[in-house]
Amino acid sequence: MIKATHKRLERINEMIAPHSEVLVLGCETCTGICLVGGEKEVARMAANLRLLNRKNGGKKTFTEGVVRRQCEMEFLDGAASLINDADAVVSLACGVGMQAIAEHFPNMPVYPGNNTAFLGLSPELGLFSERCVACGDCLIDRTGGLCPIARCAKHLFNGPCGGSVAGKCEVSPDVPCIWQMIVDRMMRLGQLSKLEDIKGIRNWKTNDAVGPRAYIREDLRSTPPKLDSVVMKPVAPKGGAA
Amino acid sequence: MSNGYKAGTRLEKILAAGKFAVTAEVGPPKGTDPEPVRKKGEKMKSACDALNVTDNQTAIVRLCSLAGCALLKQVGAEPLMQIVCRDRNRIAIQSDVLGAISLGVGNFLCLSGDHQKFGNHPTAKNVFDIDSIQLIQTLKMMRDEKKFICGEDISGNTPMFIGAAENPFADPFEFRVVRLAKKIKAGADFIQTQAVYDVPKFARWMKMVCDRGLDKQVHILAGVIPIRTSGAARYMQTSVPGVAVPDEIVKRMKAAEDKGGADKKLKAEYGREEGIKLTLELIEQVKQIPGVHGVHLMAVGWEEAVPGILEKAGLLPRPAVEAG
Amino acid sequence: MQQSTAPVVQPPCQNECPIHQDARGYLAAIARGEFDRALEVVRETNPLPIICATICSHPCENKCRRGKVDLPLSIRALKRVAVEQGKSPPPAKPKAQRSQKVAVIGSGPAGLTAAHDLAHLGYSVTILERDAAPGGAMTNFVPIYRLPREWIKRDIDAITALGVTIKTNHELGKNVTIADLKKQGFNAILLAMGLPVSRTPGVPGENSEGVMLALPFLRSVNQEGYRLPPDKMVIVVGGGNVAIDVARSALRAGAAGVRMVCLEAPHEMPASPWEVEEAKEEGIDINCSWGPKQIIVRNGKLGVLECKKVKSVFDAQGRFNPSFYEEQCTLIEGDIIIMAIGQGSDLKMLPDMGVNLNERKQLVFDAKTMTTSQEGVFACGEVTTGPGSAVRAMSTGRRAALAIDGYLKGEKVVFTEPLPLGELAPEVVNGVKRIERNVVPAQDPALRVKNFNIADLGYDAVLGLKEARRCLNCGNGAHLIEEKCIACLTCVRVCPYNVPVTRNGKVDIRVDQCQACGICVAECPVNAIGFRMPGVEDIPQRIETAMKGSKQELGFYCSYDSYYLRGVNTQGMIGIPCLAKIDTKHLLKAFELGAERAFLAGCMDADCPFTGNLEWAQRRVDTVNSLLKDAGLGEGRVKMLKVEPDQFKNLTQLVAAAFQPKEAPKG
Ligand SMILES: Cc1cc2nc3c(=O)[nH]c(=O)nc-3n(C[C@H](O)[C@H](O)[C@H](O)COP(=O)(O)OP(=O)(O)OC[C@H]3O[C@@H](n4cnc5c(N)ncnc54)[C@H](O)[C@@H]3O)c2cc1C
Ligand code: SF4
Ligand code: SF4
Repeated sequence: MIKATHKRLERINEMIAPHSEVLVLGCETCTGICLVGGEKEVARMAANLRLLNRKNGGKKTFTEGVVRRQCEMEFLDGAASLINDADAVVSLACGVGMQAIAEHFPNMPVYPGNNTAFLGLSPELGLFSERCVACGDCLIDRTGGLCPIARCAKHLFNGPCGGSVAGKCEVSPDVPCIWQMIVDRMMRLGQLSKLEDIKGIRNWKTNDAVGPRAYIREDLRSTPPKLDSVVMKPVAPKGGAA
Repeated sequence: MSNGYKAGTRLEKILAAGKFAVTAEVGPPKGTDPEPVRKKGEKMKSACDALNVTDNQTAIVRLCSLAGCALLKQVGAEPLMQIVCRDRNRIAIQSDVLGAISLGVGNFLCLSGDHQKFGNHPTAKNVFDIDSIQLIQTLKMMRDEKKFICGEDISGNTPMFIGAAENPFADPFEFRVVRLAKKIKAGADFIQTQAVYDVPKFARWMKMVCDRGLDKQVHILAGVIPIRTSGAARYMQTSVPGVAVPDEIVKRMKAAEDKGGADKKLKAEYGREEGIKLTLELIEQVKQIPGVHGVHLMAVGWEEAVPGILEKAGLLPRPAVEAG
Repeated sequence: MQQSTAPVVQPPCQNECPIHQDARGYLAAIARGEFDRALEVVRETNPLPIICATICSHPCENKCRRGKVDLPLSIRALKRVAVEQGKSPPPAKPKAQRSQKVAVIGSGPAGLTAAHDLAHLGYSVTILERDAAPGGAMTNFVPIYRLPREWIKRDIDAITALGVTIKTNHELGKNVTIADLKKQGFNAILLAMGLPVSRTPGVPGENSEGVMLALPFLRSVNQEGYRLPPDKMVIVVGGGNVAIDVARSALRAGAAGVRMVCLEAPHEMPASPWEVEEAKEEGIDINCSWGPKQIIVRNGKLGVLECKKVKSVFDAQGRFNPSFYEEQCTLIEGDIIIMAIGQGSDLKMLPDMGVNLNERKQLVFDAKTMTTSQEGVFACGEVTTGPGSAVRAMSTGRRAALAIDGYLKGEKVVFTEPLPLGELAPEVVNGVKRIERNVVPAQDPALRVKNFNIADLGYDAVLGLKEARRCLNCGNGAHLIEEKCIACLTCVRVCPYNVPVTRNGKVDIRVDQCQACGICVAECPVNAIGFRMPGVEDIPQRIETAMKGSKQELGFYCSYDSYYLRGVNTQGMIGIPCLAKIDTKHLLKAFELGAERAFLAGCMDADCPFTGNLEWAQRRVDTVNSLLKDAGLGEGRVKMLKVEPDQFKNLTQLVAAAFQPKEAPKG
């Protein structure tokens, strides 16, 4: 899921300087789950903003709200009156939720209360780590289910660089070398020979080479959608440079 | 090329002739003065078969390797252009290669590149559009098919002698040979290895290379870094990713320095002497290992020692090669 | 009284208690030093709190789940703390009275309980008791050194205060008949006559002089101050609690020594293990696996009990049916033999009054309806169950009261039995801190055999508090509010006892496994965890109330230490049943409401019964401090104090010192 962290309070305070009625709006999906967007975080953020505002002699009011998923227009509609009653929203969702507000409420300023960090998981309490970069053309079938694009500091496709030592990445002794993990896993899976094939130069169009991306599920639509992004087609299989 | 060579560079000819090749590294300056490169070129050109110009090595911004190669050409030295994948995408890299060929550069070395974290711009965004093996593929395609990655034609000739690096001391050890094979399959003509200090481990790796018959498909040049001080040895042991320096070497350097007692100058001198001795031993040892076709000296900041070392190693004068 | 049909789930202690007393509830109150509240909880279900606090056989302790961790709570001794330290009066009798009258025959625990309950249901109740003093076996037979008679009186007085009339020296079948009672206008009659007769083994010589029976012996020692002639060796036959009482009473009545003889092997003895232990402490010699064969009289004086070796006590079907090695015999010397092998009923007057007995001379009785063969005549107590404990007799008295109420209202009564919480899962047991059970102080055995003073001294308030904190609060902790849960798994990961689990893609906080530590409640990011134990969910309101007087400083203290805090003025402070239930949002709220600073005063790690709670409380303090600091709102505005119990009186100074700006190091 999407993982995020809080922005620093002073930064948020600067953003909302021109506004007097501020809604702190949380999201119960990704940022809720990574403990920066739920009801309690909203309460904490609002309380802190109130305290800061009072200390600075401000007269702002802060309201609190949460929606199930800030990235869904229908859920935002449910919070419409809360949003419209404010004159700015500090969103504790990810960048997607924040933009959903910006799009859905054209006249409402929305400010990020969070930094959207990455797509990852929480292997244990209090630890969040990256697993995927949403590159649009998953290749982990050839790498034992582990992603070298997201997890190799050099996004290498064809094996570890010369800096892999004792299972650690050259960038830090805390970071495991994903290629070591891939080799180990392929060995266990009896698929090591797969790594002998050269993964050819890749098509980055599915990633960020084309601007904002979109895809359409034709089976779910009868009318052509209003597009705001470039429609992605599945990547045609292509070998390495011959 | 019509004469049967891929690029017809001196390095290619030496290796093709089955002679023991010698290359050395030239680090460009952190500035615009062309003289340091030219001077190093002057000093080393007759001692080496090609001079590597590094590409923003350890992610520190320096004069670009393309310009470095051009400067070497000006003094009649044979350049070997290093290209890393860290800073440029496929468009910039292919463009640089075209430029380099047009200036007469014929030797290329394809590298991933040290991570920017270690350099002087750690906040930079890296590129890694293609990786080093894909870079080899790209150069091979440009040379053999005269095509860009996109499939469009390249005009003009594209002679290139394509090299790659390999680190026999990195992990996973068993996989390093597989990776070498991938590089060969991708189109590498020669390999320059990471510095060898642990000769037995290197020999083990070379045996695996030969067992697979890879030594018949590619020329392997063993990397050697002459060390001047015990401090440098220890630094390399602990802080340079992928270099394995056995303890004995550090101890040996230390013991030599200690002979100088409190005298700093004397200490440094003893250190240098021992460093050169060590380098000569290393060269001698790697020469004996089957499949090793040359050495690559990386005397960063101590380039002036290279001709002397090669002299003592009996590798001078360099054999002549036919012109053209 | 309305009977719900859905079975209620109770903590095992409460469930195992025949009258389902809320042990967890009064233990929790004691743990917070709220003794009045504790007694109030006891009184809600127990009409004989003092008697039970003193001699109850406490089946609750057998099922206490802490027994899986180390040793069960000392629940009975804690009830005694409640009755000794608490001051709350018994519940007042209801205003609404009913016209019907009920007569109860017998004033033992069963009859008293029924009378109490019926009085609360609005009936006018008269107890007829054939003895001179009410209380049944409690008064007649239970030794004084276990239950002082004034204590019984206090319980009984509370019942007569409800308007219950006790007519002593009134014997059914002698002074009055059932027909008389009906004629006097009693609409229902409840037989609660107990088992007043001692049984005999039927061995040759048992009618000799010097052979006594348990109940008459106990009654005369208790009621009439009977003492044995000097230098007599006493043999007690029997292995139950009554036999132990007889043996120990004989010692106090002047026996030179006491030898017990019983059929059962040590592990089979029906007496409670702690009773056996206490008897041994007092020097009583217990001879197991011997059955009486005959009593031999020598020189016209009693001298020897001949016994045969027991082969087995129970038959293949598990029924009491002893068999012997007839040829293996032994002789036990003694001057007096007391038979304590069981009690029986005395119901011979009933058939004449139209109440039927079966062929074994037992009352014809239907336990589903508590009725006898005669309309309007009910029964309860040991007369219906056979020998057992006082609290079981009380529970049948309660049932009978409900049955009579139904009968008099013309309603059908269905009794539903509540269910116990499940067993503690092994992974939960592993996480629970081991805490030694506090030994209940008792008189020195060497001294106590010389007097009839109560042997068991009970906990004082401090020890009681300490013991009560061992309670695991079974089923009284966290529960998931499913519609709010976002399945972030924080609770699953923070719980030190692995209580929350994932099941079918959802979080399941196993209510029956929860240790009520509260960590998850404060860590849940969406307030999706509710908490049953009082004093947790209302923290925000309490903060608001406390902050009304525009206070500068807000203090939270661990309410488990309130006893120690008594010396301190806790007015305006907020008691939390362990500080780990405080959430960062609570602390921020205090600041929002104008507090300048806040402190958490807790126990020392060793005193906290929970695993990791103080660490979590500290983390929240640190979090709030860093949030405030990051916002430029000052540093160190919340302090966490771990206070030694004997330092609570100095709390004000400790707090002041904690907030004292640190002096810059000199030089
Ligand atoms: C020696 C001894 C020690 C015990 N110790 C414990 C203990 O420590 N803990 C525990 O839980 N239990 C103990 N018990 C058991 C407990 O006393 C009984 O379970 C309980 O008293 C039974 O209550 P009950 O009301 O059914 O009968 P009882 O207590 O026997 O009361 C029956 C009452 O009915 C009266 N009565 C009988 N016939 C008539 C009549 N015809 N007319 C009027 N009145 C009549 C009797 O005088 C008596 O007062 C002990 C029992 C004995 C004998
Ligand atoms: S731990 Fe407490 S609630 Fe649980 S069974 Fe024991 S006394 Fe009852
Ligand atoms: S209250 Fe404590 S024991 Fe109960 S589920 Fe929550 S963390 Fe676990």
